[in-house]
Amino acid sequence: MTADVSSFDQLDGVVRGVPGVAALYPAGSMVATVLAATLDAVAQGATAAPLVHIEQRADGIRVTARIGIGAAESSSDVSGRVHDAIAAHLEQSGSPPVVQIVVIVASVWLNV
Amino acid sequence: MTDLTPANRHFFAFDLDSTEGEQAGLNGYTIEQLSDYLDRDRMPADPGIDDSPDCEIALRGLERLRRAQRSLLAQDLERESRRDDSWVSSILNNITLEAHAGREIPLAHPSPIARLVVTEGAVRGMLRETGDRMQNVFVGRCVLVGDVSVPGAPISIRVDVTVFPGENIPRLADQLRDAMYATLSKYTELVVVAIDITVRDLHSLPDASADEQEK
Repeated sequence: MTADVSSFDQLDGVVRGVPGVAALYPAGSMVATVLAATLDAVAQGATAAPLVHIEQRADGIRVTARIGIGAAESSSDVSGRVHDAIAAHLEQSGSPPVVQIVVIVASVWLNV
Repeated sequence: MTDLTPANRHFFAFDLDSTEGEQAGLNGYTIEQLSDYLDRDRMPADPGIDDSPDCEIALRGLERLRRAQRSLLAQDLERESRRDDSWVSSILNNITLEAHAGREIPLAHPSPIARLVVTEGAVRGMLRETGDRMQNVFVGRCVLVGDVSVPGAPISIRVDVTVFPGENIPRLADQLRDAMYATLSKYTELVVVAIDITVRDLHSLPDASADEQEK
């Protein structure tokens, strides 16, 4: 089962706040993202759907963030910090067990 | 760790047609639609484009291509460009083909629950940008050869380029190879054993004396 859980909405801000992150892209499937955005717009006005994807599994949650990074630091450093920031945020918020945190570096902005 | 080969490796020709069949991604958009979007200064904003890293990589490639074309005009190569603009078409095709995410290339992290990756499309995009930032060269096709999804597996890079006037080609290739190694070692953990560069198109300044004779 896949679910975007509203209590995890802060994760977008957490990821965007990590030094070296230049962009945050939708991590779910495009169809699911468009559908979620449409449902949100109907239900709550024009609220944007979360970009960090949460998948609820039987043994816990799987988090996926798809990012673009600037040129200053390596992919490993920035993606590692994003992972650590997500893990710390979820631990502090008392979330269900986290079985996996996926960080995808989808673009590198060499001129940023 | 990236295993670097000497910068003075020779050229290796390769058959572009035999490389893996790649299908365009671009989030359902065509390169023409992205070009129109640039023409409109990305207005009105289209989230389907703006939220897609594949589209972003393609848009940046298009912008660099346009700058190169403007540079050619500034160098009085307009007549030459009109005679043969196949290199532009070729590069447009490659931008379309190579912007999609492709395979996932792992990045190490000590946490057992971490899965960190950089996409093949991002790597191709940064290699293309690395070349395009150099003077008088424009990257055509860029292919990662080998199993990039296995940490530590040796891979090679195949690149074809268009070269503009005023360059010593072997020296330019060495500089391009060095720059690409530096980019790869900073942004990936790939073990790159070779970067093979083929100069696919050469553009020379129009022969002014020949033009005079035609008049």
